[in-house]
Amino acid sequence: MRRTNRCLLVVALTIALGLVAGQAFARTNAQVTVYAAASLTDVFPKIDRTQKYQFGGSNTLAAQITQGAPADVFASANMTLPNQLFSRGLCSKPVVFTRNTLVVVVPTSNPAHIQGVYGLAKPGVKLVIAGPGVPVGSYTLQILKNMNLFGPVLKNVVSRETDVREVLAKVALGEADAGFVYSTDAKTVSSKVKVIRVPAWAQPKVQYGICVVSRSGHKAEARAFIKTVLSPAGQRRLRAYGFLPRVKPRK
Amino acid sequence: MKRALLGFLFTAVSIVTLTFLALPIIAIFARTTPGHLLDQFSNRVVRDAFIVSLKTSLIAQAFIVLFGTPTAYFLATRRFRGHAVAITLVELPLILPPAVAGIGLLAAFGRLGLLGSTFEALGISLPFTQTAVTIAVAYVASPLYIRPAIAAFEGTDPNLTAASRTLGAGPTRTFFRVVLPLARGGLIAGLALSFARGLGEFGATIMFAGSLQRVTQTLPLAIYAEFDRNFDATLAMSGVLVLISVALLLGLRIGLTWQRSPSKRSLYLFGPSASG
Repeated sequence: MRRTNRCLLVVALTIALGLVAGQAFARTNAQVTVYAAASLTDVFPKIDRTQKYQFGGSNTLAAQITQGAPADVFASANMTLPNQLFSRGLCSKPVVFTRNTLVVVVPTSNPAHIQGVYGLAKPGVKLVIAGPGVPVGSYTLQILKNMNLFGPVLKNVVSRETDVREVLAKVALGEADAGFVYSTDAKTVSSKVKVIRVPAWAQPKVQYGICVVSRSGHKAEARAFIKTVLSPAGQRRLRAYGFLPRVKPRK
Repeated sequence: MKRALLGFLFTAVSIVTLTFLALPIIAIFARTTPGHLLDQFSNRVVRDAFIVSLKTSLIAQAFIVLFGTPTAYFLATRRFRGHAVAITLVELPLILPPAVAGIGLLAAFGRLGLLGSTFEALGISLPFTQTAVTIAVAYVASPLYIRPAIAAFEGTDPNLTAASRTLGAGPTRTFFRVVLPLARGGLIAGLALSFARGLGEFGATIMFAGSLQRVTQTLPLAIYAEFDRNFDATLAMSGVLVLISVALLLGLRIGLTWQRSPSKRSLYLFGPSASG
């Protein structure tokens, strides 16, 4: 009899504990959950370290938001994805908050002896780029088209990674000969990779868009976070990490 | 009174558990129809991923059986210093996070890895190749074959082996005509489980082999890559994997209950090895 009692107690306690833990996880004390492009991994926590961040390929994050992920803010490495969410009523009208450029990175040892973007067309070069749908993947294809390198270079692609940081990691590890990343990513592992510039005329227009997710329960806080990113202090931080001012300076 | 309450509680909790386990599977099929699922096979990405998965899993499985069976027999029949270490080594990939396995494989076989420079000198580069996928699959799936195989070999009656030897059969003949047939059930169970595990490999593959359609993009990698682009395709691919897993498990269960074998065998596929 007593044993049954104890059993019951244990079961009841377990269930109670589970419920409490679930509640604790579900509660967010006005902290904003920011779904942000992988290229923002280092800079966003420096702009505001009190928020919760989820970094990844912007396309993956957008799909998760579409499926109902509990995001308050969406910061994408392009305007296409937040605009798509906006047109479906899933987020507010996106604004541009920064810009970026692409570079080619090679391991410091440069095993394939690549000196310029045209060198990527050499047979046997192991090139990694981001997957279809990932913003940096689309930008990469644009560059290759602009430089008339589409066919020969695409033949050298050995892997299409899920976000820009995966591309960077494969090159920094020395497994791949080269990869296309944002110039800001290259800076984060400058001792492990060498940067090869992509000419300005071949650069795509890389604008980062940010918006408030419609289903968010913390819209005011989400808007405040976006304000922080757009503020002079936020913009200074972005520039310190190599991002470009959100509006192209007039020449 | 109390006993009835406890019984009720256990039943209720079991129902919650089973619902929790069944719901994601039901949801996958609730969002696709069988016709829709078949339609997706006209999708190049789905078809290519299916072929890559099947090819790499089958090759990996062949190697697992070829190397795993003698190893399992050796570990089951010999006792030596470091036996426990060897068993732990066999079991390790089972509980190792796949991402860790991926890092380990890169550190061992990558271009800058332990053996990488040796391979490089021979003109072999493993990362980003189908061979790399096969290696990743073989690494993570092997314990699911070798472990039940050890248990199966340990479960064979040594008297039968001894009888075979006294009746004049050599060790080779005894192994193939007596030991293998006796251990058949456990070996087949291991085969099916490790095959299913291999088909589902994700973490180690994406780290060690990358992801490229027609080359290294297996079904799980394609599911991840297509998630944001074509949700229907991901559902279809998930459905295929669910069906394969269910077929393997059901087939096994039916096979094992049918087979009458001298060694005692439980219905559970992940039985512990008889001695650790």
